[in-house]
Amino acid sequence: MSGEGREREDLARAREEISGLRRRLAEERFAEELKDVLTLAASVGEISSPTSHSRLLEMIVQTAASVIPSRAASLFLIDEEAEELVFEVALGSKAEEVRKFRIPLGHGIAGLVAVSGQPMAISDARSDPRQAADIAQSVGYEPESILGVPLFYEEEVVGVLELLDREGAPSYSSADMATLGLFANQAAVAIEQSRARGNLAALLGEALGTPGGVPDHRREGLAEGARSFSDRIEEDAAHQRALELAALVREISRAGEEEHAACLAILEGFAGYLRSRPQERDDLGLGDFG
Amino acid sequence: MDERPAWSAQFAPDALRTLTPVPSLDEITAEWAWNRSTGAGVKVAIIDSGIDPGHEAVGRGISGYVAITDGPMGLLHDTEPHEDSYGHGTACAGIIRSIAPDCELYSVKVLGQRLTGRGTTFAAGLQWAIENGMDVCNVSMGTTKKNFFGLLHNLADRAYFQKTMLVTAANNMPVPSFPSLYASVISVASHEGLDDPHLFYYNPSPPVEFGAPGIDVRVAWADGGWITATGNSFAAPHITGIVAKILGKHPGLTLFQMKTILRALSANMPHAKPG
Repeated sequence: MSGEGREREDLARAREEISGLRRRLAEERFAEELKDVLTLAASVGEISSPTSHSRLLEMIVQTAASVIPSRAASLFLIDEEAEELVFEVALGSKAEEVRKFRIPLGHGIAGLVAVSGQPMAISDARSDPRQAADIAQSVGYEPESILGVPLFYEEEVVGVLELLDREGAPSYSSADMATLGLFANQAAVAIEQSRARGNLAALLGEALGTPGGVPDHRREGLAEGARSFSDRIEEDAAHQRALELAALVREISRAGEEEHAACLAILEGFAGYLRSRPQERDDLGLGDFG
Repeated sequence: MDERPAWSAQFAPDALRTLTPVPSLDEITAEWAWNRSTGAGVKVAIIDSGIDPGHEAVGRGISGYVAITDGPMGLLHDTEPHEDSYGHGTACAGIIRSIAPDCELYSVKVLGQRLTGRGTTFAAGLQWAIENGMDVCNVSMGTTKKNFFGLLHNLADRAYFQKTMLVTAANNMPVPSFPSLYASVISVASHEGLDDPHLFYYNPSPPVEFGAPGIDVRVAWADGGWITATGNSFAAPHITGIVAKILGKHPGLTLFQMKTILRALSANMPHAKPG
């Protein structure tokens, strides 16, 4: 081999080495970024699957409607842009029909609770046409009694938890109002976690989209790696569920003695209810109507 | 430049003003406090969702209106007569007039269908009431936003110095709500029992100092309707009505004299003499 040939070979090797080093650096930086994001998120227990969050919200609403016997229940979130209430959870025999609706603020008790941030109950809703609002009328269901409490996320009202038609009593009591307030807090924590998860997804997306010196062909591979990593975390559902529940219980317990006792009572009640429930998942204790 | 007031000038011999005596605590009775008063001549602002002037529960008319909205050009104050967006303000008006039928009602509408600027319009509503010489202000709402803490605190202090009494509904949610947590307001929550709209309790462990009927109360609502409602929103107007009635008979009382009178007349006082 000629000296010129060797020189060319060395140069090529050097180039390869340099580009390999660059790649590794980029990968490392990317990996560091990714690790930071995931560590940050995992450390505050914010990673979990989206399905478990909506399920958690549904569970909170179901348990509320079972502890405070009610024929139907809903959880609305406020769409600030559209100034409307959007159904996040709807339970009861008309749940499917109801879920389609968005309610402009300014309608009924839910709207009033949303704009005032004050819990409120009414017991002869049918005598006041406005309370039934258009949703109730169009699905042929007009509640007699309504209890609504606001959901606070940080300092803002972000939604409304509403129970319809108290069973076993003519109206919702102030004790019912206080109890539903505790459920609203649980729901707010769940939403908080869910939003943090949304933020995490955005952060991940950002990290994956950051040029950061990662060559296109490598980024594809890294993206794949990141996806499978987050999939693995999300798939570990049992671990996540336990974490979620633990985080909720911890949060509530920290709120004070009464909250701790209420949390315990609610969980015991729900566990007892699950034990006594028939095998098939029924309408979750909510009566049929309409 | 700020004109600094000469605080001591108030106490110079020729400036010192003679005060109206208030009976000792033991002598305060409902008879003394509000008997034969209908709240006539007392200006009561309702900071809420508006008032339906045609509702039978509202009775004699509304003395003034202002609807405050937060628009792109800043705050708008519309003094044309308005309706009630929800029924909530009308409910409060009905309760107040059931206790003080001749008080002058002013509708300060800050709750509409929009969410934007809620804190700002609410603070502007309080400011309007203070600047327009209201004697009592029913505030069956509040804000949870901490960045309004200072502004509302200043307004509540101004209200106190100017003898505009703020009667606020406490929020039962575990989020601090202003101005109901300030010492310069009368903070009210619900108690069970409806027999007597004049029956209220004193709580020696504030911030919530008074309990008034607010559970299953029959209240006026939107479109001339009536509804049975539960919430601290409906407890506050009971105290507002009583305050208006007391002021009708004893104009010029300060907020802390009023709190003292209310405490003396509360139903959990061993020798309470019901009116």
